[in-house]
Amino acid sequence: MTNSIAVALAVARKDLTAEWRTRELVPALAQFVVLALIIANFGFQIDSRNAPSIAPGVLWLAIVFAGLVAFGRAFAAEREQASLEAMLMTPASPTAIFAGKALAATLLLIVCEAVLIPALALFFGTPLSAAVVFAVLLATIGMASLGCLFAAMVARVRARELLLPLLTLPLWIPFIVVGGQAVQVAMGASSGSYDQALALLVDFDILFVVLTSLVARFVLDE
Amino acid sequence: MSILVGNGLTQWFGSEVALESVDLAIDAGEHMAVLGENGAGKTTLLRILATAARPTSGRLEIMGLDALRERRRLRRRIGFVAHAPGLYPALSATENLEFFCTLHGVSRTRVAEALTMVGLGEVASRPAGRLSRGMQQRLAIGRAILHDPKLLVLDEPDASLGSDAAELLASVMRDRTVVLATHDHPLANKLCQRTLVLRHGRSVGTPTRLHLVQ
Repeated sequence: MTNSIAVALAVARKDLTAEWRTRELVPALAQFVVLALIIANFGFQIDSRNAPSIAPGVLWLAIVFAGLVAFGRAFAAEREQASLEAMLMTPASPTAIFAGKALAATLLLIVCEAVLIPALALFFGTPLSAAVVFAVLLATIGMASLGCLFAAMVARVRARELLLPLLTLPLWIPFIVVGGQAVQVAMGASSGSYDQALALLVDFDILFVVLTSLVARFVLDE
Repeated sequence: MSILVGNGLTQWFGSEVALESVDLAIDAGEHMAVLGENGAGKTTLLRILATAARPTSGRLEIMGLDALRERRRLRRRIGFVAHAPGLYPALSATENLEFFCTLHGVSRTRVAEALTMVGLGEVASRPAGRLSRGMQQRLAIGRAILHDPKLLVLDEPDASLGSDAAELLASVMRDRTVVLATHDHPLANKLCQRTLVLRHGRSVGTPTRLHLVQ
């Protein structure tokens, strides 16, 4: 168990160090989410009344597309460098390797969200609250576990850029629906229950993190 | 005593057979060269022996363990140098090896030793992406011996190694059982006691003394 945690942390640290040195992903994703907000800002007739209704949708669209890129790169880079096999040729648990990759991809997406959420408040004039941040973070965990699993599955396929969204998006819908509801409530656009939405997000996180951990071993080892 | 025994190893890729009913047995401490033209099945065979791939059919026993079922246990005892170095270009040579020490669960003190052995002590802090192809190959060899494996599987490790390839390989192969695929017959002759020749996925004759084949 201790060794698995050490392996997962080493894999995550390796990915984050590589990203810090090459700056391949995060700057591009940050630019992408800001551009998405600018386009949405011009595309919709935003005013103080409709901004809280439109902003959550724009927020989740930006997260979904940034996530697809972030999680897709997590395993595609390993395949391109032929380094995934080198990792799997060690006695390290494939589940720990997967957990490390997912952790790093999640942290990179969170960095993008740290740009996205304040930018959303700036462009749409929506409140920048801890409730919004918390709902987004909770959804990110479950979305990352699913996104990384499918990214690992399709990494060896030539049409991976096409397959990854096709496989991932249907399973991300619960996070987008419930996360969207939580953000709408936090922004004052809906009168639903924020706590109930958060509880559902936690349930989804537990379910999908456990499921993907169980399946990851078979996906990576074969 | 045989440390590695393979019977009827066969690998199909779709409708193409890459390896057909290959039998082999390698004794402890023995060095066996696998020779053959491009596409003869050398890489396929070596990937199976290194537990990186599962054969379509056949049996493989390594160190008394069923290699198809006990892959993770065996990977503690097998070092594999594949065709591609499989390094992290943004990490230094030292960081690359330290990372794999964690994955193998061995002490990081092995890193300096491995780098010295493959002649990369002076470029230890250089990013792997800025190393020459030969240096990257040396680093991949250093990674393969980090955990002091009993069995070393080397897929054309001499590619781009330079003039001291034979000396370097001899030093890492010492006291280990080795399966080495190469196109370089003189090198195989120098480093190995036996050879297995593959042609169109089939072994040609029985594994023999290299000198006789040549």
